[in-house]
Amino acid sequence: MFFTKKKKTPRDPTIEHLADIVGKKSILYKKEDLLSYDCDGFTIHKAIPKAVVFPKDTAEVAAVVKYCSAHKMPFLARGAGTGLSGGAIPLNGEVIISLVKMKNLLSVDFENRQAVVQPGFVNLKLTNSIADKGYYYAPDPSSQYVCTIGGNVAENAGGAHCLKYGVTTNHILGLEVVLPDGEIIEISENGLPDAPGYDLLGLLTGSEGTLGIVTKITVRILKNPEGKQTVLAYFDDVENGSQAVSDIISAGIVPAALEMMDKTAIEGVEAGTYPVGHPDDIEALLLIEVDGIITGIAEQIEEIMNVCRRWNVREVKVAESEEERGRWWANRKTGFGAMGAISPDYLVQDGVIPRSKLPEVLRNIRKISEESELRIANIFHAGDGNLHPLILFDSRKPGETEKALKAGSDCLKACADVGGSITGEHGVGIEKIEEMRFIFTEEELEAQTNVRDVFNPDGLLNSGKLFPTPSRCMDVKKVM
Amino acid sequence: MAVEMKEQQTNNEPPCTSNSLSNYLWDDHPDEEKWADCVHCGMCLESCPTYLETGQEQHSPRGRVHLIKSVAEGKLEVNEHFMDPVFQCLDCRACTTACPADVDVGGLIEEARGQIRQAMPLKGWKGVVSRLFLKDLFPHKNRLNGVGGILKFYQKSGLQKAVRKSGALKVMPKHLVEMESIMPPIQQSVQKKYKDVDVIPASSKPKARVAMLTGCIMDVMFADINQSTINVLTYNGNEVVLPKNQTCCGALHVHAGDRGTGKKLAKQNIEAFRDAEKVIVNAAGCGCALKEYPELFRNDPEWKEKAEEFTKKVEDISKYLYDTGYEKPHSKLNKRITYHDACHLAHGQGIRHEPRKLLNDINGVEYVEQPNADMCCGSAGIYNITNPEMAGAVLERKMENVPRDVEMISMGNPGCMLQMAIGVQKYGRRAEIVHTVQLLDWAYQQDQKNGLGTSDDKQTIAAREG
Repeated sequence: MFFTKKKKTPRDPTIEHLADIVGKKSILYKKEDLLSYDCDGFTIHKAIPKAVVFPKDTAEVAAVVKYCSAHKMPFLARGAGTGLSGGAIPLNGEVIISLVKMKNLLSVDFENRQAVVQPGFVNLKLTNSIADKGYYYAPDPSSQYVCTIGGNVAENAGGAHCLKYGVTTNHILGLEVVLPDGEIIEISENGLPDAPGYDLLGLLTGSEGTLGIVTKITVRILKNPEGKQTVLAYFDDVENGSQAVSDIISAGIVPAALEMMDKTAIEGVEAGTYPVGHPDDIEALLLIEVDGIITGIAEQIEEIMNVCRRWNVREVKVAESEEERGRWWANRKTGFGAMGAISPDYLVQDGVIPRSKLPEVLRNIRKISEESELRIANIFHAGDGNLHPLILFDSRKPGETEKALKAGSDCLKACADVGGSITGEHGVGIEKIEEMRFIFTEEELEAQTNVRDVFNPDGLLNSGKLFPTPSRCMDVKKVM
Repeated sequence: MAVEMKEQQTNNEPPCTSNSLSNYLWDDHPDEEKWADCVHCGMCLESCPTYLETGQEQHSPRGRVHLIKSVAEGKLEVNEHFMDPVFQCLDCRACTTACPADVDVGGLIEEARGQIRQAMPLKGWKGVVSRLFLKDLFPHKNRLNGVGGILKFYQKSGLQKAVRKSGALKVMPKHLVEMESIMPPIQQSVQKKYKDVDVIPASSKPKARVAMLTGCIMDVMFADINQSTINVLTYNGNEVVLPKNQTCCGALHVHAGDRGTGKKLAKQNIEAFRDAEKVIVNAAGCGCALKEYPELFRNDPEWKEKAEEFTKKVEDISKYLYDTGYEKPHSKLNKRITYHDACHLAHGQGIRHEPRKLLNDINGVEYVEQPNADMCCGSAGIYNITNPEMAGAVLERKMENVPRDVEMISMGNPGCMLQMAIGVQKYGRRAEIVHTVQLLDWAYQQDQKNGLGTSDDKQTIAAREG
C-alpha cells in the first residue's frame, strides 16, 4: 500500500530481450538492485553485473546463454553466492544467471540410492528431505545451510566429513549441462557410476563454472551410519594437537571428521552466535567424529582418547547427547562468519598439505602473521591436511587489504613449498589465480586452458577465473 | 544500460552538510560498527522470508546490509530504489538468529528507515494514513479507547452482520476485508477497568509486585489477553500495577522510520515505569521494542543510561512465569495444540522453550511441534497492511507448516494472532488462535470453579535461576 511501485519498461535492447526470455519479474537491471550482486562470499574484488536473470528451467537457461553467446556478451552462473574465492563475481560486467529459482528436489530413488536435484537446491535440504527414511547426502560444506548443490558441483565443495566420505565429485552420478553455446547435454543420464569413456563428470565437477552451466544433478545418497560419536579435545600446545592428528590417522582409524581450531579461531567462535564455552586459554582444539556400525565405535573412541592423552591433552570428552554434539558442530560450522565478531573483514585461504607437515606449516603461518602484523585464525580439516588460515583485517585501514592479500598468498606458498596445494575445496576463482603458478608450470597451465577452450572457445563464460593469463592478471589488478 | 537514477527527493534541506562521502544526511544514521560485523558469508539467506520468496540478494539480510553500507560509502543515494529493499524487510530478526557474527540487521534497517523517512517523507494519502495511525492514534490511549468503543458498537449492534451481508466489504482491498473478518470481539480495556485501583492484589500469598505494560492496540483489541495476564500473575502471588502514564511502546514507529516519535514514547515509558522493579509484557513486539530502547538512544548518553536501567526490568510474561515459578494447573484441557514462535519473542528475545513449557504443563494438552515454528507469519507489526502481497506469500508458507489437525495455535504476540487468524480462515483450517497465557488462565479458572488447586495441594513449578 505505502510502497508499491510500477515496474518500468526497460529500454536497453539486451535487457528487453532477456526479459522476454525469463519474464519481466525475473530480471534485475537497476543499479541499486545490481549492487547486491557485485561480489559473493569473497568480498575483496567487486564488479557490477550487466543484469541478473532468474531462469526457472533449463530451456530458459539455454535461451539466455544462446542470446549472450550470439551477442558476444560475457555471462556466468551463480548459486547462493557463498563461494569464498570469487567465482561468481562479474569481473567483466557479466550477465549473471542466478539459479536460485531452480530449487526443486526432482526425484529420490532410495532403491538405487540416488536423488536428482535442480542446481539451486540447498545442500542441507537434501539431507533434511530424506532424513526420515534414514538417508543423507554426505558432502557438508560449512555453508550447507544456505549453499546450493549447483554451486557445490562448480567448486567441487568439500566439508568436515569429506575425510571419510570424499568431496562432491565422489557423489555426483550425472549432470545436465548447458554448454557455453547454449546446447543442452546430459552426462551419464542414467546415473550409473564409472561410465566408459572420458570422465566428463569429473572434468565438469570443480570446473568453477568455466565449462558449462549445470542445470540438473544426480547425486549419490547414503544410508545413515548406524552409530556416531564425537570427541572434543583441548590442547595447551598446537604441536601436540597436530601430532595427535597424525597419530590418529596412522593408527588406522578413519574418522568421519577430524577438525582443528586454534586459539584465535576459538576466540572468534566463542564471540559469535554459537559459543560452546571452550576455555579461553587453550592453544588448539580437535573435534573428532567417528561413525559406522556400532560395534567398533567404542574402541575407536577409546583409542582416539588415548592418542590425545599421549600428546598431553588438557581435557578430552565425548558428546553426551545429540544436543551437545549439535552445539559443537554449529560452533565449528559457523566459524568463518563468526570472525565478523572479532574482525571487520577476513580473507580465508584454503591450502592442502601432507598431514605430517602440519606442525611445520602452522609454525610458518604464525611467522607470516607476525611479519604482516595481522592476526591469522586457523579453522581446518586437519584430518585431510586441508588448512583454512583466516586472515583478519580491516579494509577501512589504508593498505591493510593489500597486506592481507599478501599474507594469504604467503600462506599458500608455505603450503606449496612442502609439496601441498593451494586449494582443497574453495576453488581458485579470482582469489588464487596467481598462486596457480606456485604449483603449475606455464605448460601445465596452457594444457588446462586448452581443455577449457574446447568447451568455452570465446571465453564468454566466467572468464578471468581459475587460470591466470598475462592479460587477465592486469585486469584483476585494475579491479583492485 | 537502462539505469535511471532518480534525483533525491527531499522536501526540506538537510540540517547539515559534511565532507564525508556518505549519503546519509541526518543524525542517527546507520551505525558503521553494526555493518562492520558482516563478512558477507551468506549464512542468513535461507532464514530470510523475503529472500526465500524472491531469491534476490537485495531482499536478503546481507544484501540489505550491503546496500545500507553502500549509501554510507557514497555509492548509492537514498532514493526509491534503495527504499524498496529496506522497507520490504519484515524486521523479523530471523537473520539475527542465523548470523554467526550476531550482526544487528534489525537495528541497521530501522536506522536506514529513519534516514529514508527524513529524505522522502510520505506524501499524499499514504502520509495521511501513516500519520493517523502512528501519530494521532497509537500514542493516545483515550482516542484508542474511543475507536475500541466504535468497533465494539460495530460488532455488538449488528452493524457488522449488516455490513457483511450488504456486500459493502466487496469494495475494500482484499487484505483489509480479510482483516475485518477476523477482528476479535472487543472487551473492556483493563486500563479502564482498573482505573481506580493502585495495586491489583495477589490472589495467593504475595511474593512480588510487578508492573505491566498494557500496550496500545493490545488494550483495545485484545483486552481479554491483558485480563488473562493479570489473572495469571495475581494467581501466582504477584501484585500487579498498571502505571497510568505508560504509552504505546513505539515499536511500530521505529519500524516505520519515525524514530523521533519512537524516542518520545520511549522516554515517556521509561519515566512511567521508573518505580517498577519488573515490567511484564505480553506482546512479543512490544517487549522486544522495550528491550531495545538503549539502541534508540545510542547517541544520547543520558537517556541511554536510563534506557539500559529500564531494559533490565523488562520481561515477557512467559519467561517471567518460568523464572519465578507458577502453579501447575490441575484441570484438563484436552486439545491438540501447536505453538508459533513470534519473531520478536524467538529471534528478538531468545524466548523459545519457556512458553512451550507452560503449554506442556497444562494437563491434557497434546502438544505438536510444527516445522519451522520460528518462521515469520507475515504480520510484522503493520507490514501486512503496508506490504499485503509479500505478507500473503509469507503467510502461505507459514500455513503450510502448521499441522492440519491441530485444534489450537498458541503464540505470544497480538500481531501474529491477527495474521494467523487470517491464515486459518483463508486456508480453511479449524484451529483457534490463542495467546499462551489465556490457556493457563483458563485452566486456573477451571481449577477455581472445581475447587482444585487451593492451598496445600498446589503443585508448584519451581522457580528457575535468573
